[in-house]
Amino acid sequence: MSLSRVLRLRWFWCSVLCVLCWGAWAILAKLGSREIPPDTMQFIFTIGTLPVAFALLAARRFNLEKSVRGTSFGLLNGIVAGIGSIALLAAYHTTGNTYVITVAVALYPILTVILAMIFLRERLTRCQAIGIAFAAVAIVLFAL
Amino acid sequence: MHIEPWFWFAAIAVIAFGITGLLQKLSTNHLSADSALIVLIAGLVLLEPLIYPGSAVLHYSRSNLAWGLLSGFLNALGSWALLAAMKAGGTASVVAPLTALYPLVVVLCAPFILHESITMLQAAGIVCSLLAGVFLSFPDQDNPQSDIEAHMD
Repeated sequence: MSLSRVLRLRWFWCSVLCVLCWGAWAILAKLGSREIPPDTMQFIFTIGTLPVAFALLAARRFNLEKSVRGTSFGLLNGIVAGIGSIALLAAYHTTGNTYVITVAVALYPILTVILAMIFLRERLTRCQAIGIAFAAVAIVLFAL
Repeated sequence: MHIEPWFWFAAIAVIAFGITGLLQKLSTNHLSADSALIVLIAGLVLLEPLIYPGSAVLHYSRSNLAWGLLSGFLNALGSWALLAAMKAGGTASVVAPLTALYPLVVVLCAPFILHESITMLQAAGIVCSLLAGVFLSFPDQDNPQSDIEAHMD
């Protein structure tokens, strides 16, 4: 696929928007965390997510699938994500380098891959194995 | 060997986000991806009473409060954009590794916005981490959808 064709594709620009939004999120979280403690930042952060949730709900005409298991896993997901976010904001609240912290925390899929192998009996792909090897080296370098 | 405090907080974040990746997979087995994102935000709201700062929140500067609000909005908007990329026909094998590069934005912008510097060892760690993120994001060919959904938190 040629570059000019890729640049005309909607999914490409959506992906770019995702990268820019998540990158900006990390920088703004750091800027706010310089003054505001992690739990208060998380409180404010969650309020900031509500317009997107409302827009998604409105787009679905306020109808969600009625699955108790799916909703339970989803709610638990939000709670655990909130705890992780507080930890990340606590890291930003220290004097650590923002990009080192952001890049280190972005290694979390390594744990998802391992947990999926244990609990969902998914197999490790060659790409994931290479990724884990790079991650292990990165963790050692960050700890030095 | 002295390990900086940020490392331990980051380790907790990695563990929590790693678990959310698994929970996201379990959630999207029963819900559509956009419903799962809505319910995830509802889960974040459940934590709010526990971390409610009271009137103390008004003592912080407006700019920092704005950064906090905007960071939440952009995080959720980024998740929505990922969903939209998938709905617009982007394949998981391309979209997931591409969006896993988001820390690159921080790496490129932080020196100018935050005026931070890094050591050579940290720079090497960043390169390894970015490569790890890209490789870890390549989906399982047997079940590509589950892997892309794991990135939405």
